[in-house]
Amino acid sequence: MVAGPPNPHMNEPFITIEDLAIGYNNQPVMSGISLSVLHGSFTAILGANGSGKSTLLKTLLGLQPPIAGQIRIETPTGAPVAFGYVPQTLQLEPLYLLSGFHVALMGVYRRIGPGRRIPQGERAFVRECLQAAGAEGFAHQRFAELSGGQKQRVLIARALATRPDVLVLDEPTAGVDAAATHALLEFISQLHEERKLTILLVTHDLPLVRKHAHQVIWLHEGLIVTGAVADLLSPERMAALFELEIG
Amino acid sequence: METLLQILSPDFLLCNSVYTSVLIGFACPLVGVFLVLRRLVFMGVALPQISSTGVAVALSIPFWLGAKPGAHGPHTEHLLAFAGSTAFSLGAILVLALLERRGRGRPEGNLGTAYVVAAALSILLLSQNRYAEVGWLDLMKGEIIVVDNADLAITATTLTVVLAVLGLFYKELLFVSFDPAMAVTLGKNVVFWDVLLYILIGLTVSMSVLSVGPLISFGFLLIPPLTAHLFARNMRQFTIMASLLGGGVAFVGFGIAYRLDWPIGPTDVVLLGLVYGLAWGGQWLFRALAGTKKPPARAISENAKHNG
Repeated sequence: MVAGPPNPHMNEPFITIEDLAIGYNNQPVMSGISLSVLHGSFTAILGANGSGKSTLLKTLLGLQPPIAGQIRIETPTGAPVAFGYVPQTLQLEPLYLLSGFHVALMGVYRRIGPGRRIPQGERAFVRECLQAAGAEGFAHQRFAELSGGQKQRVLIARALATRPDVLVLDEPTAGVDAAATHALLEFISQLHEERKLTILLVTHDLPLVRKHAHQVIWLHEGLIVTGAVADLLSPERMAALFELEIG
Repeated sequence: METLLQILSPDFLLCNSVYTSVLIGFACPLVGVFLVLRRLVFMGVALPQISSTGVAVALSIPFWLGAKPGAHGPHTEHLLAFAGSTAFSLGAILVLALLERRGRGRPEGNLGTAYVVAAALSILLLSQNRYAEVGWLDLMKGEIIVVDNADLAITATTLTVVLAVLGLFYKELLFVSFDPAMAVTLGKNVVFWDVLLYILIGLTVSMSVLSVGPLISFGFLLIPPLTAHLFARNMRQFTIMASLLGGGVAFVGFGIAYRLDWPIGPTDVVLLGLVYGLAWGGQWLFRALAGTKKPPARAISENAKHNG
């Protein structure tokens, strides 16, 4: 089923990063990163454009090799971690004539061998995921023609179809209007609460983080600061840390 | 119609040329679909040219070694040409893909440079080699006249293998093309699947260039998928429509060229262009008349209902 059992490893370290250096072509964007993400936590990765949050995310997902240091991920079964990755919708080419259902179906490909057909059971599971994400009503429309919020729901359904250990969302509210942003984050919070799913959310939307996340990883001009939302996002603390003017 | 029936006859003198032309017409759009989707249209232009340069280089080797023209028989020459065409197209597609993956230079700059250098090299080799007098120029122009049974068998076998692999692993090839980042997070070896796709494209292009020349190869790689994309509603329709259009135009084009005594390659390409133009114009006219520039009302109401 889409809903997994309650996470018995809540608050144990899930992702541990030690002295990590990230960047491109051996040129570090950021180095000396050490932090941990707990099982079942809702963690926001914050930072301005160019601060390195996308690079950190790519490195975590294995899309970009680290320059130095290591990332340890401890899944309950010891199996390789299953990332439920929700990319920015703008990254996906609109020329592909794929319906929302076919995009979501890609979530089960990890369990299907090369050249194999997708079993009916997996197709039914994807329909469940689409229903859970509130995307079943437009799943058979062309993905490229959906609104920003609808696309995000299909991509979340696809991520759920991977049976993820962690849901990773890369700026899911980029290009989405305010009402849809609110609904999306409510839905993600609900997923987190009901399934105790570990969530990693990349964003630069402070109000959203204050409302939904528990833990913050803030990247700012080569510095990385982690902490609980209530501690880190208080106006005084932010001003002290980053010498920012808080409105 | 009489001409079309005539060229379908097994007794028709050029029946192997018809079969080859139609095979290429069916097969090229199937890999061309991926070039269009990956926005590698320039690669579709450059690859056939690079592949034909491979043919030119391979056929120049005996000349450079001092062998007489035709000394090793037509099949040796054909194999040599196939090796040259395949080596150049596979080598080029892998190097260009590697440069693109590593972000070295602008992709269109790399492809444009590769195209123009390959074209210039072909002309240089042609000007230095008397083999040009024995059919090479015909190949460059897209003349498909003499195709013996062995050549047809090699073409059919290669394209069958390409289509079988493409069909078997279509799901994986589509996935890594659409969302390579997601594929990596699911543990898929994206480099492997990319290389496999490039090998399939390279083999199809080299076989096509060898059989029908670079001009017609380029036409069949790109124009049928571009036309089919105007009407198709899903990937299956897109792929099948592109392939059927390519095969159909190859057949009709052959008939027209035979009837009017025109060169086959340019006739096919002009016909493809006409079909594309008519399709585009027809679609524009239909939309203008029906006023369907915007999504239908049902879709709009559902968007509003489900937005967010």
